[in-house]
Amino acid sequence: MISETPCLQPIKPAYHVKILEESQLDQLQSATLEILEQVGIHCPSEKALKIFAEHGGKVDFTQQIVKLPGAVVLEAMSHAPRFYTMGARDPAFDLILDGQALYCATDGCGVETIDFITRQRRPSKKEDVGTMARVTDYLSAIGFYWPIVSAQDYPKTAPLHELDASFNHTIKHVQSETVMGEWTARYAIEMADVISGNEQVRRQRPPLSLLVCSIAPLAQDRDGLESALLFAQAGLPVGFMSMANTGSTAPATIAGTLVLADAEIISALVLIQMAHPGAPVFHSLMPGVMHPRTGDYLSSTLESSSFYPLGTEIAHRWGVPTLAGVFGTDAQVPGWQSAAEAESSLMLCALTGAETGSGLGLVESCMLLYPEAVLLDADVYHRVRNEAAGLDTSAEAIALDVIKEVGPRGHFLAQRHTRINMRKRLLSELTGQPKEGGGYRDPVEVAREKVEWIIANHHPKPLEQAQQDEISRILKSADKEKQQ
Amino acid sequence: MQTQLLPLEPLKTTYHLQFLTDRQLDVLQNATLEILENTGVKFPSQKALTIFAEHGAEVDWKSQIVRMKSDFVLKALSSNPRYFLLGARNPAYDLQLMDGVTYFTTDGCGVETIDFETRQRRPSRKDDVGKMARISDYLPSISFIWPMVSAQDHGETAPLHEIDAAWNNSIKHVQSETVMGEAPCRYAVEMAEVIAGSREVMRRRPPFSLVVCTIAPLVQDTAGIEGALVLAEAGLPVGFLAMPTLGTTAPATLAGALAMGDAEIISAAVLMQLHAPGAPVFHSLMQAWADPRTGGYVSYSLDSRTRYAPVEMAHHWGMASLGACYGTDAHEPGTWQSAGEVALDPYLASLAGSDIVTGMGLSETYTLLYPEQIIMDDDLYQRARYQLMQLEVNDETLALDTVHAVGPGGHYLGQRHTREHFRESMVRGITHQIGEDGKYREPRQVAIDKVKWILENHHPDPLEPEKQSELQRILAAADKEIRRG
Repeated sequence: MISETPCLQPIKPAYHVKILEESQLDQLQSATLEILEQVGIHCPSEKALKIFAEHGGKVDFTQQIVKLPGAVVLEAMSHAPRFYTMGARDPAFDLILDGQALYCATDGCGVETIDFITRQRRPSKKEDVGTMARVTDYLSAIGFYWPIVSAQDYPKTAPLHELDASFNHTIKHVQSETVMGEWTARYAIEMADVISGNEQVRRQRPPLSLLVCSIAPLAQDRDGLESALLFAQAGLPVGFMSMANTGSTAPATIAGTLVLADAEIISALVLIQMAHPGAPVFHSLMPGVMHPRTGDYLSSTLESSSFYPLGTEIAHRWGVPTLAGVFGTDAQVPGWQSAAEAESSLMLCALTGAETGSGLGLVESCMLLYPEAVLLDADVYHRVRNEAAGLDTSAEAIALDVIKEVGPRGHFLAQRHTRINMRKRLLSELTGQPKEGGGYRDPVEVAREKVEWIIANHHPKPLEQAQQDEISRILKSADKEKQQ
Repeated sequence: MQTQLLPLEPLKTTYHLQFLTDRQLDVLQNATLEILENTGVKFPSQKALTIFAEHGAEVDWKSQIVRMKSDFVLKALSSNPRYFLLGARNPAYDLQLMDGVTYFTTDGCGVETIDFETRQRRPSRKDDVGKMARISDYLPSISFIWPMVSAQDHGETAPLHEIDAAWNNSIKHVQSETVMGEAPCRYAVEMAEVIAGSREVMRRRPPFSLVVCTIAPLVQDTAGIEGALVLAEAGLPVGFLAMPTLGTTAPATLAGALAMGDAEIISAAVLMQLHAPGAPVFHSLMQAWADPRTGGYVSYSLDSRTRYAPVEMAHHWGMASLGACYGTDAHEPGTWQSAGEVALDPYLASLAGSDIVTGMGLSETYTLLYPEQIIMDDDLYQRARYQLMQLEVNDETLALDTVHAVGPGGHYLGQRHTREHFRESMVRGITHQIGEDGKYREPRQVAIDKVKWILENHHPDPLEPEKQSELQRILAAADKEIRRG
C-alpha cells in the first residue's frame, strides 16, 4: 500500500543575524584571492588544467598547480547563479533555494550501521540506504536525502547502488557525496535522466546533485573534479566542500582555516563556471579541529561549530548558496552530547540564511548510523524551526476577550479559544509521550519505536515500473563493466 | 585553604537578534495596558491596596481588584531604573547591568537531591545549598547565586537558611526566590546589611535581590507582594516572575499568555514604584504548557518560540529582564532530552539581550538536583559563549605567510604558527576529555568527577567571623519569631 509523503517543513526564519562585519568579509575574501593568485591549487587533472589555462589561469602543467589572478576568479564567479531549484520526483517536494528557507538533508556517508533488528554494529549495506531513505521520506524535517551510509555490499559500484536505493525509496531530491570519476558520473547522470524523463526537466528541476570534497591543504581530487564537470555539463548542481583540519591540514587559527578552505572551494567553483558558465553550484565550508592529543578530526569542539554559520556568510559573499554543516556530532551514541552539539549551530545557520544543510542521523563524526538518531535530530530540528519562526500577535492570538472574560483567578480550560488553540500547540512526539503510571517515556526509546513504525508503515510512491527497470538496466551494465 | 579567584565569564555578544518587531512590541504593550485598565489584577493585601488607592488607582476593596489607567502605569514605571548594579561580597564580582552583557545564575528552588555520596534520591537540605553555592562560586559561567534547593531541614525559616548557606559559601551576589512575607523579608534585609557593612553600601551595591512569583491568572501573592515592598523600601532589587501556563491559567495562544503574564508583572512593578520610586525592579516571564493529555506542567514544548520574547517586552517597558534558560523536563542529566530541550537557551538568551538569566543545574522541571548537572549545563553555556564571540580576523590569524610556506599539499604540523596557536585552537569541553584508554570519556562521568574535585579543592574566601556570628544571631531570632508564629 502506498502512503503519502508528509509535506516538507523547511526552517523559515522570521529574523536574521549577521555575524561577520563587512570589513571582516572583505579581509577574508581578499585573503582567499591572495592565496589563489600567489600560492595556487594543486589540480591533478589534465582536463581541469586545460580549462583553467584556456580561461586565464596560470598553469604549471608539471607541478599541476594553477594560480588564479583575482580578476579571473571574480569574472568566473560572476556567472554562478545565486538562486535555483533542486528538483524532486514530485514537484511539491522541490527545494526552492531563494534565500527564504533552510532545507536539511541526512548525513552521509557512514560506514557502519547499528542493525535495525539485532542492534549489533556491522558494516553498512545497500539495504540500509533504502530503509533510511524510506524513514526520511516520512520526516518533514528532511528536505532532501544523502545516501546515509555506504552500500558496501557492492564495493566496486557502491555509489550507483546508493542512488538506486535512494531513488527507489524516496520521492525527495537526492544528493550524492560519493559519485567520483567520469565513469561513475556518466551512469549517475543516466539515472537522473530516467527520474526526470527528459533533458529539459533534468535541467529545470534536477533530481540529483553532487557534493565533492577538496583535499586540504589547497588540492583537488582528480576524480571529484572530473565527475563534477560532467554533472555541471548536464545541468545538475555541484557543490564543493572543504574539510580542512585546524592545526594539521590548515593553520591553527580559525580565520586562517576559513580562508584556506574557501580558496579550495572557490578554485573548484571557478573551474566549473569556466567550463559551464551559469551552472548551478554551491559552497560548503566544513572544517574541523584536530584534537591535539589524538589527531582526530572533531566537528564539534566548544568553538568549532561557529565554522558553519561563518561558512554561510562567506558563501553568500561570493554570491552562491551554501550547504552548511548541521548536526554531525562527535558523540559515540545518540544522547546528551549529540543534542548539545547540534542545536545552536543549526539555529545560527538558519539565522545567517543558509539554504541547505547536512546532516541528520549519524554519530561518531559522520561514521555510524543509529536508526533512531535521525528521529532525535529531527526533534531538535523542529525546536529550532519553531524558535526561528517568529510570534503571532494577531487579535486571535492575543485573546484579550478571553483574558477579560476569565479575569483574575479562574482558569482557561472551559474557553472555546482554549479548545481551538490548545490542539495547535506542539508538544514533542518524543519527549511528550505519557508513560503508564504517570510521567513520560524515555524519548530515545520512543524514537526507536517510531523508526520501527515508519519502516512497517510508510511506503512512499514507488518509481514507475518502466523507470525501475531502466535504473536496474543501468546498474547491471555498470556492474558488468566493473565485473561485479 | 582559599582557592584562586576566577574572573566571571558573562555572555557578551557583538550582534543582536530582534525577535519581535517594534509593532509587535507595541501591540503586546497595548494589550497589557488594556488588561490593567479593564480587567484589573487582584492584590489580596490591604497594604498594597492602600498604596494603590492613595496614588489614584481604581481599587475595588471587596474583590481586591485594582484597575489602572495607561497614564498611571507609564508614569509610575518612569521612575524604574533600566540598569542597576547587583553587588557581591567581593566588589570584583559586582554585576553592572548593561547592554551586550548577560549574567547567568543557577536554577532554584528544587526540593530533592541526588545525594553527593550515596547517590540516593532524598529531600533537599541546607547543606546541599552550601555545597552547590561553593560549586557555583567556582564556575565562571555563574555570575550570581540562586539557592538551588530548599533548606527543608529548617522548616518555615528555610528561605533565610538558604541565603545564609549561600553567603557562607560564595562571594557572589545572592538572589532568593523563596523569601516571602514581611517578617522574613525584614530578616533578609538585616542579613544583607550585615554583608554590605552599612545601609548606604547596601543601597549602592545591594548584595541581595529577590524574585517573587505572581499567580496566574492576574493575581498577586499576599506574602510575595508584602515582602517585595520591604525590599524595595530598602533599595534591594526585586523582580516579578509570571509563569502563565497555556490552556489552564492562560490563553492557549502564546501572545495571549505573554500579554496576561506581562500584566501581572507590570502591576506589581507599578506598586513598587508607587511605594519606593526609583527602586530597582526587574521583569521575568516564563511561559509553560499544560500537557493536553495529562494536565502535566511542561516547560519545553516543541514550539518554545516565545522563550526570549519577554526579554524584549521588558526592555520595551524600560526594565531589566531575568531570562529563563535550562529548566529541562528531563528526569536525568546527560540524557538526550536534557540537552535537546535547552542547548539553544544560553545562545538565544544572550542574542535577545537578557540582563540576567536563570537557571542551570536542575532536572525534572526545576525540582531535582543532580550535582553534576550544573557542569553539563555549564558546557552548553561555554558553547554559546564561544559562538557569540567575535571572530578575530587579522594578519596573524589569517596566517597567509604560513599558507604560502606550506603551499598545496603537505601539512601544518611543523609550522611555528601552528605551535603558537595550536593550544588555543581547540577549546576542550567535557565531551573531549581523554581517558586512560585513549578514548573520550563519558561526559557525564567527567562532570561527576569535576563536582568532586571542586568540592575538595575550592574554598572561597569565608565571611569575616563577626559577620558569620551576626548572621547566626539574625537566624536565631528569625527561627524564634517565625517558627513560633
